[in-house]
Amino acid sequence: MVTLTPSAPTESPVHQAAGGAPLLELRGISKTFPGVRALDDVSFPIWAGEIHMLCGENGAGKSSLMKVLCGAYVADAGEMFHNGGKIEIKSTLDARKLGIAVIFQEFSLIPYLSVAQNIFLGREFPGRIPGTIDRQKIRSEAARFLAMIGSDIDVDTPVHKLGVAQQQMVEIAKALSQNARVLVMDEPTSALSDTETEHLFGMMRRLKANGVAIVYISHRMAEVFLLGDRITILRDGKKVDTVLPNETSVSDLVQKMVGRKVDTIHRRGDNMKAGELALEVKGLNAPSGIADINLNVRAGEIVGLCGLVGSGRTEVARAIFGADRISSGQVTFFGKPFSGGPDEATRLGVGLIPESRKAQGLALIRSVGDNIVLAALDRLFPSRLFQPRTARKAADDMIQKLRIATPSARRAAQFLSGGNQQKVVVGKWLTADARLFIFDEPTRGIDVGAKAEVFALMYDLVEKGAAILMISSELSEIVNVCDRAYVMREGRIAGELPRDRLAEENILQLGMHHE
Amino acid sequence: MSDRTMGERAAGQGLSFLGRVPGVAFVLVALFAIFATLSPGFTTVPNLSNILVQSSILLLLALPMTLIIMTEGLDLSIGAVLTLASVVLATVALSTGSLSIAVLAAVAVGSAMGLLNGWIIAWPGIPPFVATLGTLSIAQGLCLLLTDGQSVVGLPDELHTVYAGYLLGLPIPIIIGAVAYALMHLLLYHTRLGTYVPALGGNREALRHAGVNDRLVLTVIYGIGGLMAGIAALLLTSRMSSAHPTAGIGMEFDAIAAVAVGGTQFERGEGWLLGTLLGVITIGVLRNGLNLLGMPSSIQVVCVGLLVILALFLDGMRRVEE
Repeated sequence: MVTLTPSAPTESPVHQAAGGAPLLELRGISKTFPGVRALDDVSFPIWAGEIHMLCGENGAGKSSLMKVLCGAYVADAGEMFHNGGKIEIKSTLDARKLGIAVIFQEFSLIPYLSVAQNIFLGREFPGRIPGTIDRQKIRSEAARFLAMIGSDIDVDTPVHKLGVAQQQMVEIAKALSQNARVLVMDEPTSALSDTETEHLFGMMRRLKANGVAIVYISHRMAEVFLLGDRITILRDGKKVDTVLPNETSVSDLVQKMVGRKVDTIHRRGDNMKAGELALEVKGLNAPSGIADINLNVRAGEIVGLCGLVGSGRTEVARAIFGADRISSGQVTFFGKPFSGGPDEATRLGVGLIPESRKAQGLALIRSVGDNIVLAALDRLFPSRLFQPRTARKAADDMIQKLRIATPSARRAAQFLSGGNQQKVVVGKWLTADARLFIFDEPTRGIDVGAKAEVFALMYDLVEKGAAILMISSELSEIVNVCDRAYVMREGRIAGELPRDRLAEENILQLGMHHE
Repeated sequence: MSDRTMGERAAGQGLSFLGRVPGVAFVLVALFAIFATLSPGFTTVPNLSNILVQSSILLLLALPMTLIIMTEGLDLSIGAVLTLASVVLATVALSTGSLSIAVLAAVAVGSAMGLLNGWIIAWPGIPPFVATLGTLSIAQGLCLLLTDGQSVVGLPDELHTVYAGYLLGLPIPIIIGAVAYALMHLLLYHTRLGTYVPALGGNREALRHAGVNDRLVLTVIYGIGGLMAGIAALLLTSRMSSAHPTAGIGMEFDAIAAVAVGGTQFERGEGWLLGTLLGVITIGVLRNGLNLLGMPSSIQVVCVGLLVILALFLDGMRRVEE
């Protein structure tokens, strides 16, 4: 990142000295989803004219808090105050009326409308003829709000022609045109270049000087310390602390984000049996945004691939498996060069257990048996004719071997529990003679008991000589399950952690941006 | 071309806009050159006027179809609704003797069918393909029911003057087509409703969050399709001086083909009205030229199919270059 000039001291928050009530205050906010306590008694004041940083690991509750603020979620418990007066936010409209605007990473723009039309969508100025719109006024007003944030985007450009940074500017102009007083931004710099980032920061400082409050979610430590007037840390849905940047340090912050967690997963014993090279990736680049990936996995090993959301983990898995195009680099499975394509990967003995079990891993309405033989049709039926008896036997074998809890092989896969569905996916690859398994988020959406079962299954696989590459955003799982791990940051491998250095703090240090 | 969004041509582009001319324009010019060379009668004023007159019915269907496709929708029933409106027009004209009442009835029936389409798609959320396939069948059945499968003949003579007549020296169908185009342009590029059309296809969630009643907008768009089919029924009935219960069958495919040839996409709300006009004229030129060359209508149908594929292929290549 380029050198960033720290904000002038005159811009430091004046609210405490001025006294009075915060612009917006959350008190004791809780939000529960089935099986998850997303927010637990979180209190969070936001003052006019401050940039308030929100930090936490994946799943710490940042997104939930944002959604409560903008009315997408309604809190189960807690109170909210606006300038000291009690308020309720029950819909996105309520939030907008209070001047709260959220800029999500996924933009809410219309691709084939112009910049101006997007800024005033649903709030078009009426024209002279009844029913028409005043396009001149829409354009000039849009230009005025864009100028306010120092942007010179042509208001007639259709939005689909804009880059991410410019789309972000349009979103911000849209928020300002709705008279936003609280601007919530979710990792706004993740897709920006250095110059664009500089520009955004300059604009944020101008907004702040005009009394706009900004809640800013970031994983980049440099930004947190550079921009933040205050930093609030969330962990497991709870507020850990709110600190001032000059009273804390990077390591202190990381410590607070990680905390001392109770380990729910049994840590695996040391594994000394690493065998032949199952997967070797050399200098892999792909248009999906990953660059210079070098890694390897040996038989008998569980190797972790971790990093923050968006760091490129899943893209690496898809590129290795041949599901996405690669631009250069070499992938070798069991010593054989891989030329691409999931069918070729399957033949070489590779199985991908995708992140979205329901969408990508299983044919939900088909039976457990059909799912199990799906990837092994070539092997089971060399004559190219489907033989129900052979298929049935292969399925029954696998159900028994993996102890899949299903009344029969004929049961539709959608009726199985998450953990058992995961077993069916694994069984599918075992039937296809896979010896290298790529697990993408293997425990997503399954309960604690099923998690233990999935890990037991993984341990069993490596015991028997399989190799596993495991992608997970659950750091505690990586630490406890893996023999070693690669940490990704912004599409590159930031470092490799051997077993003795595999700790959550080390992963976060590598995965965060604090140059 | 900024027409695609604001209906305005950005000034000072020079000739660079040529690079953004959609495939259909090249196809149209090429077809025009071919037919002008092969058939001497092609470039005469009466023939060119004839092409536009013959394209007017298709234009009335293809214009609202453009809006519908921009919402990521489809209206398969528009040909059957056209037929139903035509049958209603003829039946009412016969029983009341009043052409204006008959036209009003046709437009009312067309609009009602269109609104029904929109309602089924917007509220219960039935996919447009299936919903309008259903209303296609309903409209087709009603046509047969109303006519016993027979043609309705013996209509007042004044009816024929609509299609064959002139106003201010111009054929009336061309005037109706031009007015319809102007009104649709105004609607799409200068009204709130029109602004929401690309939004429905591009990001319906965002439109809803902007406080717009997206379902109502969708219903009205399909309603406009039915209304235009009602007006097209006047031209169709007038052309034949009678109503046939199967006259408009397959017109929906020509309408969808014209929209597709014109460069409107079936995703993300990308589309433009001028392209549809070009698409309609291209199909008209193709049919007329083949007719002059003595090709049977079966060959014409095949050629329209080839045209759709060629135009979309050219567009696809240009997109890849971008």
